[in-house]
Amino acid sequence: MPSHSVERTARAQRLIVVSLIAVALGFLLVVQLRSQAAVARTLAAQDDTSVALLINDLNRANNQLIQQGAALAQQEAQLRQALTAGGADVQGIQKELVTLREVNGEVPVHGPGLQIRIQGTIMDFELQDALNNLRTAGAEAIALNGYRIVSSTPVQSHGNSLLINGHAVSSPLSLLVIGDPEQLGPAADLSASSLQTRVQVDIQRQTDLSITEVVTPRPLIYAQLGK
Amino acid sequence: MTVLASVSLATFLVTGLAATQFRSQPLPPSNRLARDEALRQSVNQLEDQNRTLKARNQGLQAQVKASEDESANRSSAVQQVKAQLDDQRVIAGLMALHGPGLTVLLHDGADPNDPADKSLGWTVHYQDLQDIVNVLWASGAEAIAVNGQRIVPSTAFHYAGVNILVNNASRLSGPYTVSALGNPSNLANGISDPDQVAELKSRNRIYGLGFSWLRGTRLGLPAYDSTFLVKYAQPLG
Repeated sequence: MPSHSVERTARAQRLIVVSLIAVALGFLLVVQLRSQAAVARTLAAQDDTSVALLINDLNRANNQLIQQGAALAQQEAQLRQALTAGGADVQGIQKELVTLREVNGEVPVHGPGLQIRIQGTIMDFELQDALNNLRTAGAEAIALNGYRIVSSTPVQSHGNSLLINGHAVSSPLSLLVIGDPEQLGPAADLSASSLQTRVQVDIQRQTDLSITEVVTPRPLIYAQLGK
Repeated sequence: MTVLASVSLATFLVTGLAATQFRSQPLPPSNRLARDEALRQSVNQLEDQNRTLKARNQGLQAQVKASEDESANRSSAVQQVKAQLDDQRVIAGLMALHGPGLTVLLHDGADPNDPADKSLGWTVHYQDLQDIVNVLWASGAEAIAVNGQRIVPSTAFHYAGVNILVNNASRLSGPYTVSALGNPSNLANGISDPDQVAELKSRNRIYGLGFSWLRGTRLGLPAYDSTFLVKYAQPLG
């Protein structure tokens, strides 16, 4: 089909561009990974760089888990306190409901964050990598050109079109991200550094940006509660 | 194609810098062994701590839920909110689920030992898993887990060197299993569509990655093992 061949051609072009960059900058590392990756995902056989990066990620994750645990402990203490007093922590439970609706992308939200403008065409995997980086950096809400993006939002390429949940979005792309700008900034820079060889990327910190788009939860037809 | 994303410029810059740093002062073999051992011990300790913290948070989640159930018995106001809260919990991946669906399997292939082939195409990349998850969502999946890690709103796949990490630095290693709940036929049709994960299918033919899928009548998905912190986003209006 023509669209498929266009897609293949576009992908092939990007393959060449990315390959050249990768070869130029990562040749030594590729050799290193290739020789050691056998695939040495067992710890004992891994190269030091992999181990060092893993330590870095584990430290960050464990700090987050400690914070999450502290929040859960506090939540539980408040619920228990209200129960002991013979009542119920209605406000606390309502607050949790709001938090989960934010997490699930079901309510409009605002807050500090980044506006990332991308002039040019990018592929699904490039956007997905940027989303991965931003989520790792604590992104709390994300929208692209009028579509809210949550983890279950399909991001796909069809030819040169980027599809968000089946809807085509085109250049210029405006990616809105709410979270700690100090954390999001380096994550966005990381993504931009790989994109800027082909497209123009502009990252602006915002003290208060709004994401008004929401996602409609998919009804559960097949899934049932319990293991 | 997604293989190339794994060798993105950014990753190379970061990793290259780290590699340079590690190699700038060659150590004598005995010191190197000691350092390697120390680094690996650090990983083991941090992974032990990681597991302990997740187990603690899971326990706290269960306590919170029990207290909320008890609160709902005491207060009609809570009872009304509780049903909505439980719905949101399910959507967020905080509840274990079961049902029919599709299991997708994948493992590293055999190293071709071909000096001309520097593609690492014989290994499974995090983007492969991400792409499979993406296709399954697009095919109507209602919930997904990868190697027992539930895909939740905060889930990000990434590399730490050769390690594939998701959900609070959970290290994934092969064989890889992606489990999705939903209509098994629709999910299977999505994955088998020649236009979907085409590059992975091509590598599977070349390197033998064991890429296959299996319909199931009852798959079980665990709940996410922590919680979500929202510090910056506020409801609008």
